[in-house]
Amino acid sequence: MSTWLPGGTPRTAARWFARRASLAAIVVAGAVTAAFLGLELTADDPALTVLGTTPRTPELVEQVRAELALDKPAWQRYLLMIGRVFTGDLGTSHQLQQPVWSLIGEQASASAELVVAGIAVALVVASTSAIATAGGRRPMLRAALSAVEHVTAASPAFWFGLLLLGVFSFRLHLFPVAGGTGPRALVLPALTLALELFGPFAQVLRAGLDTALREPFALTARARGTTWERLLVRHALRHALLPLVTLSGWTVGALLSGAVVIETVFGRQGLGRLLATAITGHDLPVVVGVVTVSAVAFAVVSMVVDWLYGVIDPRTGEAIG
Amino acid sequence: MACSSKAFALVALLLLTACAGTEPEDDVVRVALSQQPECLDPQVSPREVTATVVRGVFDSLVELDQEGVVRPWLAERWEITRDRRSFTFHLRGGVTFHDGTPLDAEAVRATLDHATAPATKSRYAAMLLRRYAGSDILDSRTIRVHLTEPDASFLQALSTAYLGIQSPTSMRVNAGDLCARPVGSGPFRFAHWRRNRDIRLDRYAEYRWSPPSARTPGPAAASGVQITFIPEDGARFGALVSGQADVVTPIPPVKAGVLRADRNLRLLAADLPGVVYTVCFNSTSGPLADERVRHAVRRSVRIDELVRAVHFGEYPRAWSMLGPATPAYAPDTVDSWPVDTALAERLLDEAGWTGRDEEGYRVRDGQRLVLNWPYLPETQGKDLILLQGVQAEVRRLGIDLHVTAEDAGTYVQLTYTGRGLDMFGTNFVRADPDVLRYWLGSGETLDNGGGNVFRVRDPVLDTLLDQGLATDDLAARVRHYRAVQHYVNDRALVMPVFVPRAMVGTSSRLNGLAFEAAGYPLFRDVTTGRS
Repeated sequence: MSTWLPGGTPRTAARWFARRASLAAIVVAGAVTAAFLGLELTADDPALTVLGTTPRTPELVEQVRAELALDKPAWQRYLLMIGRVFTGDLGTSHQLQQPVWSLIGEQASASAELVVAGIAVALVVASTSAIATAGGRRPMLRAALSAVEHVTAASPAFWFGLLLLGVFSFRLHLFPVAGGTGPRALVLPALTLALELFGPFAQVLRAGLDTALREPFALTARARGTTWERLLVRHALRHALLPLVTLSGWTVGALLSGAVVIETVFGRQGLGRLLATAITGHDLPVVVGVVTVSAVAFAVVSMVVDWLYGVIDPRTGEAIG
Repeated sequence: MACSSKAFALVALLLLTACAGTEPEDDVVRVALSQQPECLDPQVSPREVTATVVRGVFDSLVELDQEGVVRPWLAERWEITRDRRSFTFHLRGGVTFHDGTPLDAEAVRATLDHATAPATKSRYAAMLLRRYAGSDILDSRTIRVHLTEPDASFLQALSTAYLGIQSPTSMRVNAGDLCARPVGSGPFRFAHWRRNRDIRLDRYAEYRWSPPSARTPGPAAASGVQITFIPEDGARFGALVSGQADVVTPIPPVKAGVLRADRNLRLLAADLPGVVYTVCFNSTSGPLADERVRHAVRRSVRIDELVRAVHFGEYPRAWSMLGPATPAYAPDTVDSWPVDTALAERLLDEAGWTGRDEEGYRVRDGQRLVLNWPYLPETQGKDLILLQGVQAEVRRLGIDLHVTAEDAGTYVQLTYTGRGLDMFGTNFVRADPDVLRYWLGSGETLDNGGGNVFRVRDPVLDTLLDQGLATDDLAARVRHYRAVQHYVNDRALVMPVFVPRAMVGTSSRLNGLAFEAAGYPLFRDVTTGRS
């Protein structure tokens, strides 16, 4: 039985995938519905909101009404929108007058780079910190690292961002403040994100390791003469990884369109800023587009996480089917 | 050297030394702005940042110099008919757009028609052209533009970046995508725009038709302009201080002192023309419909102290709704309505607000004297301290001023109906005094695309404004618009607060940065002084 296929056989794997995909569709529909309701409830007259505080003639207002299909009842507009989302037609932005797909395409890779790099750095730092101090070893170091983790987790991202900029960009001139290209422009934003994330990651992993090390199998392994390091990495880590994988999966989904503070401080491209601008401008097609794309990404990441459960701990695979 | 654009941060750290050697292009002006345009079609976007970015891409028919005099640019000369409703423009020869299309009368007509076409959804240019009735092409280099009524502000309107002339080929080929593909005949051609990141303009080597204010008629001094968008004030300022940007704007007033003290940096500032930061009063309904209450509010707020405290002494206090940099500004408005608390108290008593409730607020017929001032946090959040200052000042008189943050939808609804709000704050950049009409002309209600939120209908005001547009005699115009400013103050229709300034920080080696009449920095003659 292969642990790489959910359920062990191609047949069960296909069934597993089909179930996940239908759940994902529900997640996407729910997210889009929430976005639609949110904008629908906060605007008395979306046509006026789209036009903003700028001059508007009755003809212009009428034209925007027609474009937004505001002459139709809300439920019809909702169904139209859901239909378009599931056929992949995200429409054109009111504010930016560009196709939503191309807007998302421009911003998505910057978001992905930031999230992947930030989480990767956070995972490396968190694992080092947790493994070095798990199971009651090195109590002084453990207390110190734990304190750092709490402080960083509690500090706002923009403060870290400005701090890093102040030292590494304004003083040492090592990295560009904004607008740079390539890996150099990614370092400070990714570090800022990692500083936000590594605290919770380390805490979760360390707690998991502590629990695993108290299990009877750990004692057995030690009695058989397994070294501490081997026990940690080979046995305890497998147990402790599950909650961390869950947490990082959730983080990827949340940050794809939620890293707006970091994107703003570093003047970076990203879905977060695109979404924030669209919300203030009541640009429904862009809001729905970004929400859809993030919901799909979230669903895909959740699937990967579920699949990883089975790989990391084959016992969880039994429940799949 | 080749540096992979996709790599993780850890790898990036290792590659650092390898990448650190790349030098920036020395004669490219590196500009950092706080906001980015939503669209680079100047006939669509109403925003000041759009004008800043595309001014170098598009030329206009005429130029307005700092003295308010209209000078030739793409139009060599022009004639105005006796009824002041037709303008014949003779275009300069030998001008080509960035895509190779020659400038002709058709290009001018296409641009003006594009601005006024409903499909363009123009947010500002159409307003500038509201009296436009169409154009006739007399020959390839002569165009006659017709107006529905005389409009002395028409040439000023044509001088703005918002009516910059576009390539007709581009308007045909790029239709629907003009926001992302601006093609004009200016000293810089558009290279790329990576949204939320940067805009790149390159020098247009064939450029030979600068306006009179330029240092040379030929191509721009810099080989390009690299514009990045850094919304965070501290980060943007840091970009200038650390030498990563040559030009940074806006500079928050709190940082102006730092710039002046630093020998490597320079602060350039220009008063913005047009309507200063002004609190418009609801003079048609609610407590402020009583002129005495409006005067009382104006006489109770210590604007000098408030503006100095909020803007660190960088913005002058305003006495007239028009800024001092606007043609026809009335300098004799200065000191004409000083703080007079005793007078303010007396006016409120006369208006019947004589009672006091348990919290000390004034009451009339059992009703507390409440005023509502809604604001949009996204655009006016930076002025919140000012709003709260006014709130504290009128409280001393016993007025309960509610300053409330509203979301865009509610705010627009409030201003659109003109009900449920007693005042709102605004400013409006335009280098022509007729900007006053937009807020106070009876024909400028929001239904008509104007800004007269409270539907002010004042025949005296309308007559004065109409007289200001009916003549091209500058002295006569000045007289009419000065009368408007005094009239507005006498009736206390608004409370002018401070004169906004364009604040630009540059490195001290940079040279040649000028301001357009409307207060935007011009990059045409800039040399970076790096290398």
